[in-house]
Amino acid sequence: MSFSSRSMVTSSHRASRAARVSALVAASVLASLAIVVPEVHALGESTRVAILGVDVGPEARPLARRRLAWEVRKRTSIETVLQPGRVRLDDPRLFESPLLFWSGDRGFAELSEAESVGLRRFVEFGGFVVIDDARPDDPGFDASIRRELRRALGASLRPIARDHTIFRSFYLVDRPFGRVRGPDTVEGIEVGGRLAVVYSRHDLGGAFARDNLGTWVHPVVPGGDDQRERAIRFGVNLVMYALCLDYKDDQVHAPFIMRRRGVGPRP
Amino acid sequence: MPGGGIVALLVVVVLAALVARELRRRPPRRLAAWRVLSAIVIALVTTQPRWTVERSETTRGRVAVLVDGSRSMGVHDRSEDVARLLSRWSADAENATLHRFGSELEPASFSDVEGASVARADESALEAALEALVEGDRAGEIGAVVVVGDGASRYEGPWPDLDGRKVHTVAVGREELRDDALATLEADPVGFLRTPAEVRVTVRRLGAGGVLPITLRQGDEVVTEVTVDVPEGEAREVALPFTPRRLGRAVYTVSIPHAPDDEVPQNDERSFLVRVERDRLRVLLVAGEPTWDVRFLRAFLKRDPSIDLISFFILRTASDLTMASPDELALIPFPTDELFREHLGSFDVLLFQDFDFGPYQMAGYLPRIRDYVRRGGSFAMIGGEKSFASGGYAGTPIADVLPVLLPPVGTPASRLVVEGRFAPRVEPALVRHPLLALASDPSSSLAAWSRLAPLEGMNRVVGVREGATVLLTHPNERLPVLVTGTAEEGRVLALTTDTAWRWGPTTGGLTGDASTFERFWDRGLRWLARDPSLEPAQLTTDRERYGPEGRVRTSAVLRDARYQPLAAETIRFEMRRDGDDTPLAGADAVTDAEGRVELALRAPTEPGAYRVVARRPSDPEPIASELFVVEAGGDELADPRAQPTQLQGLAMATGGTFTTIEDAGELSSFDATRTRRLGARELAPFATPWAFLAIVGLLAAEWWARRRGGAR
Repeated sequence: MSFSSRSMVTSSHRASRAARVSALVAASVLASLAIVVPEVHALGESTRVAILGVDVGPEARPLARRRLAWEVRKRTSIETVLQPGRVRLDDPRLFESPLLFWSGDRGFAELSEAESVGLRRFVEFGGFVVIDDARPDDPGFDASIRRELRRALGASLRPIARDHTIFRSFYLVDRPFGRVRGPDTVEGIEVGGRLAVVYSRHDLGGAFARDNLGTWVHPVVPGGDDQRERAIRFGVNLVMYALCLDYKDDQVHAPFIMRRRGVGPRP
Repeated sequence: MPGGGIVALLVVVVLAALVARELRRRPPRRLAAWRVLSAIVIALVTTQPRWTVERSETTRGRVAVLVDGSRSMGVHDRSEDVARLLSRWSADAENATLHRFGSELEPASFSDVEGASVARADESALEAALEALVEGDRAGEIGAVVVVGDGASRYEGPWPDLDGRKVHTVAVGREELRDDALATLEADPVGFLRTPAEVRVTVRRLGAGGVLPITLRQGDEVVTEVTVDVPEGEAREVALPFTPRRLGRAVYTVSIPHAPDDEVPQNDERSFLVRVERDRLRVLLVAGEPTWDVRFLRAFLKRDPSIDLISFFILRTASDLTMASPDELALIPFPTDELFREHLGSFDVLLFQDFDFGPYQMAGYLPRIRDYVRRGGSFAMIGGEKSFASGGYAGTPIADVLPVLLPPVGTPASRLVVEGRFAPRVEPALVRHPLLALASDPSSSLAAWSRLAPLEGMNRVVGVREGATVLLTHPNERLPVLVTGTAEEGRVLALTTDTAWRWGPTTGGLTGDASTFERFWDRGLRWLARDPSLEPAQLTTDRERYGPEGRVRTSAVLRDARYQPLAAETIRFEMRRDGDDTPLAGADAVTDAEGRVELALRAPTEPGAYRVVARRPSDPEPIASELFVVEAGGDELADPRAQPTQLQGLAMATGGTFTTIEDAGELSSFDATRTRRLGARELAPFATPWAFLAIVGLLAAEWWARRRGGAR
């Protein structure tokens, strides 16, 4: 049994007080919200969003997913699992959550046939994989992951245009950031008209990771806290995209669609 | 030419050359004769000539007279001419039988020639009548058939095999006719709301020419009026545009003015039916938060090209801390007023998915949503921690239309949900319901349900509304999981879980088939939108337009609201004017084990829109119905000109004679001898080993004769 505790969430983020106040004001303006937040009772873990890790060896940023889940829950209406686990690609539990966060900092051996098939089916059945190179200065993980994606999905990573929905699924983001500034964009693979794989060489997890005492584990360079906040926003956008896909493309056009339709009431 | 033929030809040519060369040497006559004889035999063996001997039997039988009873025979008093002819023939008709044909073959009698020649059938299916006649003559008594008619049928053959019976034809009607007609009408049976469409008609003028106005009406309202200039004896095609303005079945009528001297005024007006639909199903999806269930449902709806989806997700709530100014967020206000006041009526289906109305000042819109449903809209509530009673809907107008009963206000939150995984129980008696029918047969469907990944958690409800159908239940708690129902004119669906997405990828991971979630919602949306193909009872007619008293062939598949076949039940089929429950005619029929039934009814005589209604004899409420129109003219009178060439062709094809009614002799003058083929025998005298031996013998004899004569 678990209760939603959003109403009790307090931010420990190092944002300025002014920014926090303006955000709260904006929150009240944006959504025409009422004051009362009803008491809610979750139906089970399957109803919540688990950002599962991929078990192909030691996890490069073991604290990152937990923090990302926490930030997503704090900032958005998405109910996340705060202690998400890891799963092997050949484990049927892979299909319990359609979102994977795969971080690595070194090359790894070829996936088994069962793991490769599992990854392909996960993506074909609607799953979304965020892959994060925790050591962009080292070619090991990069070479391994490109090899396995090509093998499993039969497709190569391509740069994602900066007008893609992942840059505006919740926050308006100019470019990706992580622990390092990294390339101007991320790469990805589309399956069935949706982005199924996003590959970042910015060490997103390094920017997210925070220990139990509330200390950020890795310094963020060169932008410091501002860059970390941008990295978190990009991470939130990725999780939001996993759940909403191109919803934002609808949303911005909806008023125009409604007016263009010019339809009257039901006869 | 086949390869064997080419070889045979070459052999013959070579033999001819050899013989010619031999003869140029002027050999003794005897040797020349041997050479010629050998060459002939070799040529015969090579070419293998065959003879076919046909055997036949000629017998004399009785005459079957077939009289055209279609309505075109009413033009120019053709049927009166036929009655006089039959009256004359009745004197020597002891060896003849009389039949009339229209939609089907019917027996008639020379003692009632007026009844035999009456023109009332809506078609003249001569080819079917001939087939039926031969089929019924098992004893082979009929020697010949005499067809008396106007040939005003569009059938051009081929004619059925009459097994040696000749068909003599007697053409009725003169070719001159004064008639303005709507000869053809073509319109798509399905139109889309507010989307321009057109009906194409052909206007033909006989005996006059000039400009004619053509009017398209819907009811009494003139939709379009155009004019067309048609020279005498010619036809012109015209397209009349129209734009359907209301959903449902619409009856349109095209007409031209009745000229005072028009001999066939019935074909001055044609009607047609259009089923007006929306071009795409309009769905409004409102989700209280992004969840996996929301994600997979929206992805399915978005991908379906037949669905026009408007979706709104609550991406943040009052308690969320975005840590950003509005300019840094891609969020817009939730347009409640625009959606639920201005445009609600434009949606076919409204989906609330894990959505609580409270925080969005929506209480004022709930009565509008309830009224939208009751007026015929469709509504589904999908579970989640913000749905049903957990979403605060108990005691609201939404609760009035839901098919489930919600726990009362004040129930503790922990009592509003059920946690834990469960495999929902399928009600076996309802497994034919389209939302449960995952496979083509019930047992396969039940097996398919058992293979699905379990659900997790559900909203607790305390019962279902009267008349609602519970399709899935929690196996232990016996609580309804999937319930369908109606709210006055609207359809409603309640799915009390938000983990149906697990029928997609999670099931796919277990079984390799991730399609169930989308199949379920495809059916769900179509059921909500009243897709006719998912109705439990379906009734169809073979045509949409009939002439007066036309034969309305009706077929139906009848199931009750639980999709159980109405097996071996007597069903009352009634003919009613559209919009009037008074039965004009009716007949009973019994269904088979699958609820199927077929029967033919007679269309009313008055032009207009009618329904065939199926109902249980004890219950006035229709189970199913179908609309059709009766036209004064219809296809039968679209071209009422006498067509003697059709009858000429039939007579020629069967070895019979053709004559006009004015020149027709006595009935006994028609040749009633029937020549039946009994078979054929093929002879191939040179296809034996003896022929080969003969060649060898001839060549040996020639060689011996040459040697004896001193030749080498």
